[in-house]
Amino acid sequence: MLLAQAVLWPVAIPLATAALAACCWQRLAAQRAISAAGVLLMFAATLLLLWQVRAEGVQAVQFGGWAAPFGVSFVADRFSAAMAAITGLMAFATWLFGQADIRRREERAGFHPLFHGMLAGVNGAFLTGDIFNLYVWFEVMLITAMGLLVIGRTRAQLDGVLKYAVLNLFSTLIFLMAVALLYGVAGTLNMADLAVVLPQAGPSLTLTISALLLLCGFGIKAGYFPLFFWLPASYHTASITVAAIFAGLLTKVGVYACFRVFTLIFTVEGSGLREILAVMAACTMLFGVFGAAVQWDVRRILSFHIVSQIGYMLLGLAVATPAALAGGIFYIIHHIVVKANLFLLAGAIHRASGTFDLRQSGGLMRRSPLLAALFLVPALSLGGIPPLSGFWAKFMVIDASFRGGQGWLAAVALVTGILTLYSMTKIWMEAFWKDPLMPRPTARAVPAPMLAAIALLAAVTVAIGLQAEPFVAYAQSAAQALVDPSDYIAAVLGAVPAEGGAMAEPRP
Amino acid sequence: MPDALYLSTAIGLPYLGALVTALLPANARRLESWLAGAVALLTLTMVWLCYYPTIAEGGVVRAEIAWVPQLGLNLVLRLDGLASVFAVMVAGIGLLVVLYARYYMSSDDPIPRFFAFLLAFMGSMMGLVLSGNLIQLVFFWELTSLFSFLLIGYWQHSAQARDGARMALTVTASGGLALLAGVLLLGHIVGSYDLDRVLASGDVIRAHPLYLPALVLVLLGALTKSAQFPFHFWLPHAMAAPTPVSAYLHSATLVKAGIFLMARLWPVMAGTDAWFWILGSAGMITLLLGAYVAIFQHDMKGLLAYSTISHLGLITVLLSLNSPLAMVAAIFHTMNHATFKASLFMAAGIIDHETGTRDIRRLSGLNATMPFTARLAMVAAAAMAGVPLLNGFISKEMFITETLSASTAPTLLHSLLPLGAALASIFAVAYSLRFIHGAFFGPTTGDMPHTPHEPPQWMRLPVEVLVFGCMVVGILPAATIGPFLDVAVRSVLGEATPYYSLAVWHGFNLPLVMSLIALAGGALLYRLLQRHLNAGIDGTPLLRRLDGRRLFDRVMVFLSWRFARTLERLLGTSRLQTQLRLMVCVTILAAVLALAPHDFGLGVLQLSPADPVIGLVWLAGSLCALAAAYQAKYHRLAALVLLGGAGLAVCITFVWFSAPDLAVTQLLVEVVTTVLLLLGLRWMPKRLELAGSGRLLSRLRRYRDFAIALGAGLGLTAISYATMTRVSPEGISRFFLERAYTEGGGTNVVNVILVDFRGFDTFGEITVLCIVALTVFALLRRFRPAPESIGVPDQQQGDVRNWMMVPAVTMKLLFPLIGVVAVYLLLRGHDLPGGGFAGGLMLAIAILLQYMAGGTRWVEDHLRVHPLRWMSAGLLLAGGTGLAAMAFGQPFLTSYFAYADLGWLGKLPVASALIFDIGVFALVFGATVLMLIAIAHQSVRSQRAAPTPPPAPQEER
Repeated sequence: MLLAQAVLWPVAIPLATAALAACCWQRLAAQRAISAAGVLLMFAATLLLLWQVRAEGVQAVQFGGWAAPFGVSFVADRFSAAMAAITGLMAFATWLFGQADIRRREERAGFHPLFHGMLAGVNGAFLTGDIFNLYVWFEVMLITAMGLLVIGRTRAQLDGVLKYAVLNLFSTLIFLMAVALLYGVAGTLNMADLAVVLPQAGPSLTLTISALLLLCGFGIKAGYFPLFFWLPASYHTASITVAAIFAGLLTKVGVYACFRVFTLIFTVEGSGLREILAVMAACTMLFGVFGAAVQWDVRRILSFHIVSQIGYMLLGLAVATPAALAGGIFYIIHHIVVKANLFLLAGAIHRASGTFDLRQSGGLMRRSPLLAALFLVPALSLGGIPPLSGFWAKFMVIDASFRGGQGWLAAVALVTGILTLYSMTKIWMEAFWKDPLMPRPTARAVPAPMLAAIALLAAVTVAIGLQAEPFVAYAQSAAQALVDPSDYIAAVLGAVPAEGGAMAEPRP
Repeated sequence: MPDALYLSTAIGLPYLGALVTALLPANARRLESWLAGAVALLTLTMVWLCYYPTIAEGGVVRAEIAWVPQLGLNLVLRLDGLASVFAVMVAGIGLLVVLYARYYMSSDDPIPRFFAFLLAFMGSMMGLVLSGNLIQLVFFWELTSLFSFLLIGYWQHSAQARDGARMALTVTASGGLALLAGVLLLGHIVGSYDLDRVLASGDVIRAHPLYLPALVLVLLGALTKSAQFPFHFWLPHAMAAPTPVSAYLHSATLVKAGIFLMARLWPVMAGTDAWFWILGSAGMITLLLGAYVAIFQHDMKGLLAYSTISHLGLITVLLSLNSPLAMVAAIFHTMNHATFKASLFMAAGIIDHETGTRDIRRLSGLNATMPFTARLAMVAAAAMAGVPLLNGFISKEMFITETLSASTAPTLLHSLLPLGAALASIFAVAYSLRFIHGAFFGPTTGDMPHTPHEPPQWMRLPVEVLVFGCMVVGILPAATIGPFLDVAVRSVLGEATPYYSLAVWHGFNLPLVMSLIALAGGALLYRLLQRHLNAGIDGTPLLRRLDGRRLFDRVMVFLSWRFARTLERLLGTSRLQTQLRLMVCVTILAAVLALAPHDFGLGVLQLSPADPVIGLVWLAGSLCALAAAYQAKYHRLAALVLLGGAGLAVCITFVWFSAPDLAVTQLLVEVVTTVLLLLGLRWMPKRLELAGSGRLLSRLRRYRDFAIALGAGLGLTAISYATMTRVSPEGISRFFLERAYTEGGGTNVVNVILVDFRGFDTFGEITVLCIVALTVFALLRRFRPAPESIGVPDQQQGDVRNWMMVPAVTMKLLFPLIGVVAVYLLLRGHDLPGGGFAGGLMLAIAILLQYMAGGTRWVEDHLRVHPLRWMSAGLLLAGGTGLAAMAFGQPFLTSYFAYADLGWLGKLPVASALIFDIGVFALVFGATVLMLIAIAHQSVRSQRAAPTPPPAPQEER
């Protein structure tokens, strides 16, 4: 039973955790214990799912025992299982970091329920096989993210959350309209079923509009050019634990949805989407990295780099060959770890130097060499320096764009890489090498949980870099499954609900 | 197999050593240097062990380890003659540098870090030269950039060191990325990244249409690394590094990586005009420019840096000539340059260490105080200048010979080669003289920070070893370096290895004459320039404006600051309205784009005749919506009320088209949201009336926004119209209609869909509601209303209960009735319009009315609702129902239904979905009430709060 429903647990556990934590609204100790248990259980559940998908192939569950396409499906193929597993890892790392970062005030404002609610939303979005259900999880994510963003109730946070909320609500609205149009054409919401039905329906205006609206909706979520403004306007206001998990996961949900929808339901090939996507990818890369260049607040620099890096992933989708998609998937996994870690490091830098402003910080190389060494790992990985994960990610994406005949995209990616590296050296030089303007009278140590979380993620980055082979192989097989979703479709539409009880026959 | 072991040890050991060293305590200086030295020595041994048996016979040692086979990549360790020469240089000079650094570094510096970086750099260089795979080569290439960055910036407190390090990294790592692209293209052409396969397909590469881009990209990598014009500027700034680092990086290793790459790919990429022109011109300019600028440097290390640039240019020119003999000379000069330049850097470091300065203007007469060092430096400098009987002479003579033989070719660049070579040789003699004469001769009373004296004997040893090498090779070239050079050359040229003779005396020929002229000319030039040099003027005559660094800085500032700022100003905005407008426009644009491939055609379905009544309702509703939008900015209350009107129109429409469930829900939602918003309005700040200066502009803005809204609305209408006038597909809806009763156990299809068919969506949505409530609650927990809204409104002056007597009594009386209706709605939901959602809202309305009637305090004195508990219970109930199904071996949320016999009441259909619905009911009720309470408590708080003076208004950014 436990295994048969493995797809469910990564969502059910954080939901239950959130509900239980909300029950203990006044008892912080209980909330903490529940939260810890929830994080660990969810991490285990996602790993279990990953293991199961690797061992047995696509996993699908029909809720309520209603066969697809009538009930809601949850599906885990290699891509989504990997995303769920990385979510588990992120949850664990940020939770660990949060042990030293989350203030009581924030806990009283409902940090634990919101945090787990958000995790449930993220995992739900990764695992659902139903496009309306995807909308539901987007809403869960949006609302919890709003709550988490504003948890400190500062003026800056209110300002940030307003932008976040309005622009993201707009995105979900567009998404919903697109889903409605899709339903109007196809009469079904199950993504696997849509993949079967739509080719028979043939191209039509409504479908094209629906596809582009979906692109806009997901694009806002993911932070594509020119829809990314909400991201740098809001992320830097959040507390570090929150910002880290946002930076790691939330935009990637948008990217994931794009990858899923534009391989399973629509195709990039031959639909005229490629040019749009390619231009968007190039602009996203460049604008992000230029935006970062003018910032002095570490968190804002990093926020803009999220945008820029999203461009690389989009590049994978734009080229849309199996190799490019594999590169995109590898990039997503790599980037989640690295970017979350950089945000955590920003928190540690703040803890050690008392400021997020690079102009005022400094001297950390001397004061905490360990932190410096830990910073180098994700920073260089982001810049694509070997032997870290970023090198392979860039390598795969750039190689694929050369082979896909999109050499100019590769050139943009390379230039962006240089500027990214330059930007990372800026942080390094200002925060670590240079002497601080005003040395702090007492050096503040970075708490152990923070260092542990950072080290954990850095270790993952190094591990992916040094032992890239299994990850590359996994990304390639995941991409193969995206290009040829027959297994996915078979698993969903052929999923036989358990015997007895209310069950439905497959549609004639 | 032992070969593979030796090779992997040669790469792995330095890294391991680096790791161990980094973890040693800072004060274990002796231990660290011993460790580093041992590592370097062992690495050298490993290469040697491999070398001796196989390489000496012209073989190739090769070991392949699976790496990322999916990408066609294997870790190939490959040691041939060329690689072995470079590997020996890397490890050998590394060993000497470690010994030297042991004495050079001050105890104030963090020593473990220094040796760790140095060893890691050594490992990267070993990896680079031993790469048998192009990607692997790039991999280590970037690592050398990285560790050189850390080494150059080792003295982080100095801004010069930081900037120099960053510049070196930016230039070389960018080159590395270009190289990566080039290598990818090469791999594309050849079909493999394996070096052996690449080396075997020279003809394919040269004939391929992608040859030129690949060549340019690869050479970009090589030229940036080897500091060739126009990328040479980073090297002099890297001199801010500690001297051992300079001695290592800029003599034998980092800058030679570019040379190594060019030599490595020489057999497959050279031999074309493009190769000659790119490398020939870059090399020639670098050769002359470097030598010329070197003369005018006052810093000893600066002089050596430019001389390094110049010598690298020399080697590049040799490589560009597409002639096997030139290749021999290039490799030979690479080895010679490594020895004399490393020793010179070390000598400069000794002088710096013992006198406290490196400025030639301040140094003088050291020949008297440190005679032994002076002798060593003089020999090394003479080798650099190309004085006979030293190694520099032989390779330089080979260079001149090659330029002479190349000058027969018709092009201008070819014919200028000998002239350039002669000029550069003259400059080289001049700067070598300056180095020696400036520092070691002249009066002994220089104003040096320390009193000069000889360094410790062990610090001098590396210099002695290297200088000894210069002399031995210079006197007996064929007997000493000959076999090694031969092996290296053969590994590159193979069958095409030409005959060459390594000898000091080739007879009295043109090259010798040119060498002698250069010696004389150089001495003369130095004599002529002495007055200018003694004046101590900074900068290079004629070239003062040409500053690569300034150009680089300008480009970087332009890119990373000015251009970026302009972009940000143009496109970035922190204003929500602008952002939203942009997004809406992009969305409209996307929809318009979709029109391009398709024509907008209406569907075939006929419209049913319009009913005037519903038409009127819609007219009213639309007017309400328009008016609400119009008033939203000026009069919130009016806008809200109008919005309610639009909502009612929608509600009536639902009834009209037989969707009672939707109508009920819509009505209730409408009521609750309007009341909650109205409660919230109370605390909104007043609208700021701005003076009418920009009236026209603001009106125009509104027209524009109106146009955008109109466009979006019309577009959406059109799409909906087009979709709905088509035959709707045979989708999943019929299934729901057919199975709702037979398998879902309810006649109300909407409800069955919500709680059964798609119960999971509902589950998600109630979670959303729950979180919204929690967020509102958390956000308003300690919210203090703005001071201007604290005042008690007229209606609440005095006793509220008297003021609202009649409505209050009615509302209180209605409370139980509404409660019963709520439960009724819940229970009948499965078969008739209603359901948990509607019921929950209904019950919440009951409470809402009590709050309105009696005031917050009165209600809470009489009735404690614990909304948090309701919510949690609801969520757990709903989730628990789902999990319960799993306990029976069914999928999550599978429902079960049966008929409960209640005796005379009849049979009551009971579905497990009902329990789920009860969960929904509880949650909706709890969430709504929680939000109500969160807002309601503001009034209690504000009355309690003393009207504190308003905080100083904070200016928005």
